[in-house]
Parts: sequence; structure tokens; C-alpha cells
Amino acid sequence: MLLRLVRLIRAIFAVIVGLLFLVPIYITLTTSLDTPAHVFTFPPHLWLDFNWSVWVRTWHMYNWPLYMFNTIVIAISTIAIALATAVLAAYALTFVQFRGQTVVFSLVLLVLMIPSETFLIPNFVIMAKLHLVDTRIAQVLPYGATAFGIFLLRQFFLTLPKDYFEAAKIDGCGHLRFLWSIAIPLCRSVLVTIALYIFIGTWNSLIWPLMVTQSPRVQPIELALATYLTSDSSDWQGLSAAAMFATIPMVVLFLVFQRQIVRGISRGEGIRF
Amino acid sequence: MAIDKGASHPQMRRMPDFRLVSPSKSKDLLVAIAFLLPAFAFLGLFVYLPTILAFLLAFFNYHPGAPTNTFAGLSNLKQAINYSVFQKSMVNTLYYAAMVVPGTLVLSMSIALLINRVTKIYSFARTLVLMPYVTPAIGTAIGWLWIYNPSYGLANAVLHVFHIPASQWMASPYMAMPAVAIYSLWHGIGFDVIILITAISGLPSGVLEAAIVDGASAWTKFWRVTLPLLSPTVFFITVVTTIGSFQAFSQIFALSTGSGGPEYATTTTIFLIYQTAFEYGDFSYAAAMAIYLVLGIFLLTMLMRWIGKRAVFYQ
Repeated sequence: MLLRLVRLIRAIFAVIVGLLFLVPIYITLTTSLDTPAHVFTFPPHLWLDFNWSVWVRTWHMYNWPLYMFNTIVIAISTIAIALATAVLAAYALTFVQFRGQTVVFSLVLLVLMIPSETFLIPNFVIMAKLHLVDTRIAQVLPYGATAFGIFLLRQFFLTLPKDYFEAAKIDGCGHLRFLWSIAIPLCRSVLVTIALYIFIGTWNSLIWPLMVTQSPRVQPIELALATYLTSDSSDWQGLSAAAMFATIPMVVLFLVFQRQIVRGISRGEGIRF
Repeated sequence: MAIDKGASHPQMRRMPDFRLVSPSKSKDLLVAIAFLLPAFAFLGLFVYLPTILAFLLAFFNYHPGAPTNTFAGLSNLKQAINYSVFQKSMVNTLYYAAMVVPGTLVLSMSIALLINRVTKIYSFARTLVLMPYVTPAIGTAIGWLWIYNPSYGLANAVLHVFHIPASQWMASPYMAMPAVAIYSLWHGIGFDVIILITAISGLPSGVLEAAIVDGASAWTKFWRVTLPLLSPTVFFITVVTTIGSFQAFSQIFALSTGSGGPEYATTTTIFLIYQTAFEYGDFSYAAAMAIYLVLGIFLLTMLMRWIGKRAVFYQ
């Protein structure tokens, strides 16, 4: 009886802790949907009014579909390039034997040890030399190779039984064919995790787009929020609505892919943004 | 991209290493070059080259668009270290880390021990704790700015319930940085909770049961058995959170509405580097500051590795 009570209290406590984490997002939602009379009240008004007028006004104030389109284009291009370069490199570092393999692999690991602050400013200088400042491409290229992805994929390839490769080779299967029809299908779950993290990272990226872009034409969604916030920080309702435009897609993505995201973190595949 | 979360993770060590011997070595070399070239083209142009450039920039007076760049020697580095705002930014960075790192350890451990069950209710709680981790920083910081609003915010309403005097939060030079730290804990802790839950579920159950059979209290069991067994994970979280807190930018930009204020209270080194380069256009000066930051991160990582070798208990 006592044990059951303890269990119940623990479960209730766990739910309360969980709900506390939801509060800031919920507050943003209620603020954006408040009737004007409920915005500036103390203590704060915590119920949903479903007054959608602010959402409509804010949606028309900035070109949100364009910002979302930019973000998705940048994310998908980065994912396509980064996965391709990572798979090829990881494959070469596992299944192809050549002299200097260890040296090449340690060059990849070296990248993981350099903090990203080191190359922010020089990368801007390089983009300026390439005449790529204020383009979407400039937001893709620096992430075209993911050292972390190469590392993870190599770790995965190393766990594959080498009989696969030898059997394929005896049957006359070349490197490209083996990579395409055996290695890639087997590592699909790792690829999905890397792709998810690149997508989340792009959606949430701020400092590099802030440096390398000026015009809304090429900017991702966080930049639109940053512009709005720094130009009109007292428009609480509009800002809250805009915040929901940027947050809701990520919440949905999280709920759909929660299993992959959790697995990514617990395997150490996660990248902190 | 960002920092590595897994290279030092205990689970990722020592995988079986095998190499396949192939008769056609020269052909394999060509394949290897062809496969490695794309990745190294990107790494070379956007990682290795900029790393070298970062140091060069600091030793020159570079201005975008200027025809010639004069050699500056150590003057940028000397000027930076004597600049009072830069000194303050380093103190701010350490202050921020000093709040976030212990806060992360205590909170993530408490939450992980609480929700470390497999039933539906607990996985619901786990979902909610992890959710902020994937949300965009500016998007959620807007909600927090409203919570921190001195007149109408939830934060002061909560203080009011407990009869604690209201705070100015982001408007106060004293409370601004703690307020940013609270936001960062909320945003990032889910990651650490997941790592800890995974580690806890991998603990040898025999040892824990033996402790209970021997009559150890929950408190003793935690300090004498669970925590020592978890020490590699706790160490991993400490290293990653420390490095991460040196790199925190989005939340500071958002919560200070792009100012680093009030009175430079939230101007961290990375924020000052951004401001110096892109608001004041002084790239070389910013590059000199970045060198200090990078060296700081490097030395701290070395120091933590040294401590880790002595303090961490590996099974």
C-alpha cells in the first residue's frame, strides 16, 4: 500500500517536471492568441483565447513562406552533399586498403577538435573572395563535409562482418557496387540520424547566417525572427506568433522522429547546437 | 559542424578494427583518392585553410575591401588583452559556464533518476524534457523574454507567490546572466538527461541489487555505487557542457535582443567577437580575440582530460 503510494507520487512528480518544461512554449502560444485585454495583465493570463488575428497580421508582415523555403533548401542541400561526402570518405577509410589510412583518419578527427569559432571569420573572408556573400550556397558549403558523420559512419562500417565484403568481391562486385547495394542500405539508420541533426541544426542556425547574409531573399527562419526581435522588441503578441511559426515545425518534427533523435543522442550521434 | 558529442563518449571507444587485404593495391589507392577527395575538398577549403587564416588575420590589419593589408605583429593581440570590454567578456564567459555546468550536472542527474522508468507516464515526461532541445533558440527565447518581463512576466508572478521581491531579470545587470543560464538549462538539459538515462539502464544490475541486499540506503547506494559507476558519463557531460557554454551565442543574442547588455552584462567573448567583426567591421581585432577564446577552450579541454584520467572510474 505504502509502496503504491510512493510510486503514484513519483509518477505525478515526473509528469509535473515534464509539464514545467512545456510551460515556456505554452506561454508563447497563449500570449500570441490572447485577446488584447489579456496581454498586459499581472498575474499573467494563462488560458487560451484563440484570437487568431495576431497570427494573421504577423503572417502577412514578413514573408514567412520564403524564409521557410530558404531554410529547407539550405537544409536539404547540406544533407545531400554532407551525406554523399561522408559515405564515400567513411567507406574509403574502412573498406579500401591504402597506405596512410591512419594519417588520413586522424586528419578527420583533428577537425572535431577545432572549435567552430576558429573558422567563422576566416570563412567569411573566403566567401567574400568567392563572391558568395549573401547567398544560400554560402550557408551550405562550410557544412559540405561532416567530420562527425564520417566518424560515425566509419564506426558503423567497422561493425559489419568482413565476410560480406569478401563474398561480394568473389562474386565480382566492385567498390561502387558494394557501397551502393550493400553498405548504404545497411547504414540507413545512421544516415537518417545524421540527416535529422543537420536539418535541426540548419533550422536553428543563427551566427553563421547572421554573418554571411544581409537580404531576406536568402535568409533562414531564425534570421527573420532575429530581425523582428531587434527591430520591434515591444510587439509581444506579434513576436510570440512569429516564434510559434518557427517552433511548431520543430515540435512536430520532434514528435514524429523522437525515436531516431533519442537514439542519436544515446549513441553519441547527437551534435549540440 | 559544432563540436563532437561522441568522440570521447565511453561507449564509442575501441571498436574492432579490421582491414581488408586486396591484391590490386594501386587500383585501391585510386579508389581511395576518388572517394576521399570530395570530403577533403570541403574540409580543406572550409576547415583547414580557415584555421590557418584565423591566425594570419590576427597578425595583419585586414579590412574587407581594402587594397593592401599591413602587418600588425602582436598589436591586435596586445590591444585585445588590454581592452576592458574584452576582459569583462572573458569574466562573463566563465561566470556563465560556472552557472550552467554545475546546474546541468545537478539538474540532469536529479531528473534522470526521477524519470528513469520505462512505463508510458515516464516516457511522456521524457518527451517533454527533451522537446526544448530541438526548438530554435530565438523562437523559444521570445517566450522566455516575456516570462522575464518585469511587469507582466510569469517569473515575477512565481516570485510573488513565494513572497520574494520582484526582479528586473534581463533588464538588470546582475540578473541578466543568471536569466540566460536558466534559459540554457531549460533548452539543453534534455540532452544530458537522455545520456544519463541510457547510462543508468546499462549499469550492472547485480551490483545495485547487492547494495540493497546489504542494507544500503537509497542515499548511500547513489553516492557509493551508482555515481561511481556513472562517473565516465558524468565526466563526458561535464566536458561537453563546458565547451558548449564557451560557444553559447544564440540565446545571448536573443535574450539581450542583440545588444549583449545591459551594461555589457551578457557580452560573452563569442558575442564580442561577432560584434567586433560584423558591427564594427574590425576583422583582425575580432580574429585576435577568437585566438584567445580558442586557446582557452583548448587549455580547458586538456586540463579536464588530465583531471578525468585521475578522477574517473572506468569499469
